[in-house]
Amino acid sequence: MMNKALYRREMKGSIKLLIIFGAIITLYVSIIIHMYDPQMMKTLDSFAEIMPELMASVGMKADSATLLGFMVSYLYGFILLIFPMLFCILRGNALIAKYVDKGSMVSLAAAPVKRHTIAFTQMSVLVSGIVVLIFYITLIELICTGSSFPGEADITALFVLNFGLLCLHLFIGGICFLSSCFFSDTRYSLASGAGIPAFMYVLQMLANVGGNAEKAKYFTFFTLFDPDGIIASENNAIAGIFILLAGAVVLYASGIMIFKRKDLYI
Amino acid sequence: MSVIKIESLVRDYGNGKGVFDVSFHVNQGEAFGFLGPNGAGKTTTIRHLMGFLKPESGTCTINGLDCWSERDKVQARLGYIPGEISFFDDMSGTEFLRFITEYRKVGTQSRKEELLERFELDPGSKIKKMSKGMKQKLGIIAAFMHDPDILILDEPTSGLDPLMQNRFVNLVAEEKKHGKTILMSSHMFEEVERTCDRIGIIRKGRMTAVDSAATLRERHTRRYTVTLENETDAKAFATDFGGICNGTNVTVTTKQSLEEIFMNYYGGEKNDE
Repeated sequence: MMNKALYRREMKGSIKLLIIFGAIITLYVSIIIHMYDPQMMKTLDSFAEIMPELMASVGMKADSATLLGFMVSYLYGFILLIFPMLFCILRGNALIAKYVDKGSMVSLAAAPVKRHTIAFTQMSVLVSGIVVLIFYITLIELICTGSSFPGEADITALFVLNFGLLCLHLFIGGICFLSSCFFSDTRYSLASGAGIPAFMYVLQMLANVGGNAEKAKYFTFFTLFDPDGIIASENNAIAGIFILLAGAVVLYASGIMIFKRKDLYI
Repeated sequence: MSVIKIESLVRDYGNGKGVFDVSFHVNQGEAFGFLGPNGAGKTTTIRHLMGFLKPESGTCTINGLDCWSERDKVQARLGYIPGEISFFDDMSGTEFLRFITEYRKVGTQSRKEELLERFELDPGSKIKKMSKGMKQKLGIIAAFMHDPDILILDEPTSGLDPLMQNRFVNLVAEEKKHGKTILMSSHMFEEVERTCDRIGIIRKGRMTAVDSAATLRERHTRRYTVTLENETDAKAFATDFGGICNGTNVTVTTKQSLEEIFMNYYGGEKNDE
């Protein structure tokens, strides 16, 4: 199922990106959580009142009463969506398509290792990276909320929320992985692996603005991740998480199947 | 017993490119030269043997195993030098060889050290910074270090200097002596002529001749005997033209270039690759 030597090599390749994104996320999460302050809230809410469309497009709304609600508004609309997504795009493309495009897939394919094993190992590397990133986000959030506002955050709700975030990013990773397996040319693999999630995110931004544009939410998978719904334990929001998870499984499985059957011009 | 067997292999890329109805076999302990100009279909044929491409029709088998559906079993006893070397640029040669050893699960019986010495390669530097020749040497070592029974070598000497080409030819000769089965592609007649027992010629995706190297050599060399005025002149002539001197007679041989061999097979039709 898995090749240890390949897994080790690729995890080493992920480390640099994980550290960079980890650092960026640490910066944002700690700053934003420390900004949770009734006085400060008023300022931000006044921004949201002056230019509601702009603030709403990145998921920031007025009236974020609780600490978790505040975090949902200012972290789960942009920062925690974009940076892990960038990780998925970069690693997803590099794990299969880049090797096929450059021809270094030869070293992997010209060995008594099944294609299934190669693809499954690369998928595990991507999934491990996403899990590490979300785990790290949770850890940072726990430390920051625990140190600044002990007892104020609903820990269970935070775990469910981050499980939802994990499923969303596994789904995005699935899109990148599938594109990477499908296209033998990095240009196309990147165009679809980055293009689809980016386009969906733009639709989500449009939908957030409201009005007629709200219909856009029916065309983007980001709708399935509804942080406000999750912390309010709405059934629909919980169902959305599992739809994302199931979708991710289908995407990864199709990627592996395609890679097994494809012609490699290496 | 034939180890490598290709039967009526077809892959049509359109515009007359691809391979069409290619059939040949390589016997146990034999070195087979696969000769053809650039773009004739050598690499495409080899990619089918490696299980990278699925035949549109026809079959490729190695040791009776299907090269596409049972490729991982085929690969176990196979060594391959790709036509275009592209390794992981971020690794050093040492790291790459260690990675391949672990990836293939070669174990301790690796011939790595012996081969590094033979080709005088210092694998310490980053692959990205290696010259074409160094990368080629690294490819040779990666292909031979697990001591495979079957060797598929796609233009293995490209980028090597004449000294290293010689060492490579010797290595192939030794392997053949140990009963290894070798398929080696090239676009130079001289190279396969030196190492191979039989030679297959491919052109525009079709096999045009499969014959023993000796027969082909015989057919495509010409001898001229020249008589010179005195022995001193004859000796000088023999040195200059690589002939054999016998009194005032000097016998010189010429080999046809691949181009001429093709023209020979096609009754003068110009090779337009």
